[in-house]
Amino acid sequence: MREILYAGFGGQGVLTSGLVMSQVAVFKGQKATWMPSYGSAMRGGTANCTVKYGNDTIYNPGQEEPDLLLAMNGPSYQAFAGMVKLGGIIVINSDIISGELDVREDITLHRVACSTLANEIDQPRGANIIMAAAVIKLLNDFSLEDGIHGMNDMFEKKGKQKFEAGNTKSFECGYNAV
Amino acid sequence: MADMIKGNVAIAEAAVRAGVQFYAGYPITPSTEIMEYLSGRLPELGRSFVQAESEVSGINMVMGAAACGFRALTASSGPGISLKQEGISCISDEELACVVINVVRYGNGLGTLYSSQCDYFRETRGGGNGDYRCIVLTPESIQEAVDLMAPAFELAEKYRIVTVFMTEGALGQMMEPCVLPDFIEPERHSWALNGKYTYKKIGIFDRNSMTEAVALNEKHALIKENEQRWESGHVEDADYVFVAYGLPGRSVKGAVKELRKEGHKVGFIRPITTWPFPENGFKEVNQNVKGFITVEASATGQLVDDVALTAKRVFRERNVPAWSLCCVYGVPSLKFTKDGFARIMNNELKEAY
Amino acid sequence: MAKERKVPALIDNPMSFCAGCGHGIVIRLVAECIEELNQQDNIIFPIGVGCSSLLGGGMVADRLHCPHGRAASVATGMKRVTPDTTIITYQGDGDAYNIGISESLNAAYRNENITVITINNTNFGMTGGQMSWTSLPDQKTTTSPKGRDSGATGLPFRFPEMVAGQFDVAYAARGTVTSPKNVNKLKKYIKNGLEAQINGEGYSIIEVLSPCPTNWGLNPVKAMEQIEEQLIPYYPLGVFKNRKEKQDA
Ligand SMILES: Cc1ncc(C[n+]2csc(CCOP(=O)(O)OP(=O)(O)O)c2C)c(N)n1
Ligand code: SF4
Ligand SMILES: [Mg+2]
Repeated sequence: MREILYAGFGGQGVLTSGLVMSQVAVFKGQKATWMPSYGSAMRGGTANCTVKYGNDTIYNPGQEEPDLLLAMNGPSYQAFAGMVKLGGIIVINSDIISGELDVREDITLHRVACSTLANEIDQPRGANIIMAAAVIKLLNDFSLEDGIHGMNDMFEKKGKQKFEAGNTKSFECGYNAV
Repeated sequence: MADMIKGNVAIAEAAVRAGVQFYAGYPITPSTEIMEYLSGRLPELGRSFVQAESEVSGINMVMGAAACGFRALTASSGPGISLKQEGISCISDEELACVVINVVRYGNGLGTLYSSQCDYFRETRGGGNGDYRCIVLTPESIQEAVDLMAPAFELAEKYRIVTVFMTEGALGQMMEPCVLPDFIEPERHSWALNGKYTYKKIGIFDRNSMTEAVALNEKHALIKENEQRWESGHVEDADYVFVAYGLPGRSVKGAVKELRKEGHKVGFIRPITTWPFPENGFKEVNQNVKGFITVEASATGQLVDDVALTAKRVFRERNVPAWSLCCVYGVPSLKFTKDGFARIMNNELKEAY
Repeated sequence: MAKERKVPALIDNPMSFCAGCGHGIVIRLVAECIEELNQQDNIIFPIGVGCSSLLGGGMVADRLHCPHGRAASVATGMKRVTPDTTIITYQGDGDAYNIGISESLNAAYRNENITVITINNTNFGMTGGQMSWTSLPDQKTTTSPKGRDSGATGLPFRFPEMVAGQFDVAYAARGTVTSPKNVNKLKKYIKNGLEAQINGEGYSIIEVLSPCPTNWGLNPVKAMEQIEEQLIPYYPLGVFKNRKEKQDA
């Protein structure tokens, strides 16, 4: 079973990044859960969610020890980096988190300038999809095609198919960025 | 293929499919998505939704709709459910049927927004003034929640009682895939008020509390006999049996699986009805069991009382100890349960009973 | 010569009000209006808590005892699921205007299509005559033994005028039972309220100034005089919000 923690400011779209991950897993016949922070936990302007997926029963949908942390801002990195599993992965938004970072030796750190990339491909709102795709690539459980199909299926069912081309472009961009 | 769906939304849609004709309530986190969803969905189907001025008013509107023989629903949390107790007691007294959803949040008074199980006592003991009980359903997953929605109403109507659908903030807010149940079209109850006085209900001043007490006890006995629901595993040879419901119950199943792998003879009972409490599940437990351990999201341990009382009834000649592992709020991790078990094995944690 | 009035079939039991109480007269008027409007097989009473509860024992009709003060909310639930059934709340002043002021005001605020009948006897009759928000200044009650101190307890307020002035309601009136003339007028008010509901015009309220000889410490005749002399000057009789179609009449 995989556990991923998506964290950032409210409005950066981390809840959707996590949802894309969980829906891709479900699309491929796996089990998945998505557990957000909510209520007052969100009021400080931070948002996070824990996604778990795999072939076995997910007993506890809550956060335990993430295999991967996506930190979209500094406070999220500070708050959650220490919780990542030994030998785990951290992906940071290097547009916001810059400079020297105190990184645990066992961790593999990936820097993705998701906002810059989003602007480069003319998808200014695509940063969170770029990150969702980067995470999917790094975990290496699903192919690029699986990811795109799962994501597009999800947005279609929400009646948002008009963003399909843009989302696909963002996804490809993120997948190739790591 | 089932898609990811939010707990509260799935529960609300399941209620629609169970034939809910009327909803009234007042917003409160973490239950609000239920009313938000129904505010659009019910009118779309020609059914009724009222945003009430308070929980007090909301539950009384539910009482009115229920008295007229329709499936009526309200949902709330924490202090909102406190305000509903007056109405729940009256609905129980009038032997009307309805469903009250409590998406439990942690704390006394205004409390917090954390997911919790701190309302166990209130829900399983009735909650308002008087001698009544409510049937209490406690799902572990979104799938189980939607599958329990129609039974929640059926039980309420079968026994003319309030069903409390007790879930947790985390279950309401989380997402996972689920298959929604089919639509049903329930009939208006035969004991409904319809304006024609076909149901000859007697006025409160003509009632006889002594005869009603007998009937009430019979009703409760019947419910206890017929409606206990639980899931259990590995109890026949268990030295220690965990008891937990809702999301902690689900988490405990994972811990039991791991502990078994590590060679510990442990089992679990996960109550699906917390009232009636699944005493029958305890009858299947190893006669030489060494103890019961509850895992609960409360500060003080509440479920453990029912476990100890049930152990007393089932293992009459022995005093089987009961411990409680309380995580206060949230969903306990597998590690929490395993660490707690280790402390109990090392005599570091005193039993509650 | 007085016309003989048949007891409406809806009332089958004697009700145990005190001698000279106003409740019985009002209940009879309500029952007469229901029959005249042919609603006897289409009526539900959500009943308040107070001496008004005694209605529950006397009528052969669908009725439900509501928690104290909540009848307007219970009525709302009933009306929303059975919009063609006539729903009448029957409440006291304590029930509707003290503990239930929120539910009462909010039902009016929504212009809920129900009829509210409030028996204003300026005290909590059933519990032995405590002060109500409608008790008059200086009125002696068991919780204002030296007379109501309006400085500390507030001034009595006029609910029908309030909702007529502030909210979009269909009909609001106040009547009393002190004379045959007033009784006839009151009946007209009640009938208008019910017609408003039947026509789907919205919320209607009829408040009744009603004697409570027992708790006022007066005999029935003196209690009626008390209404004329003390209550009516404070609580004027009449229609405060008329039905749209009746405006010109
Ligand atoms: C919640 C609650 N609080 C208090 C009471 C006690 N109680 C019963 S009737 C009543 C007052 C009723 O006064 P009013 O509505 O004016 O009716 P009346 O008896 O004067 O007709 C009170 C306080 C109750 N039944 N329920
Ligand atoms: S106490 Fe007053 S209101 Fe109640 S029945 Fe007696 S006279 Fe009527
Ligand atoms: Mg009164």
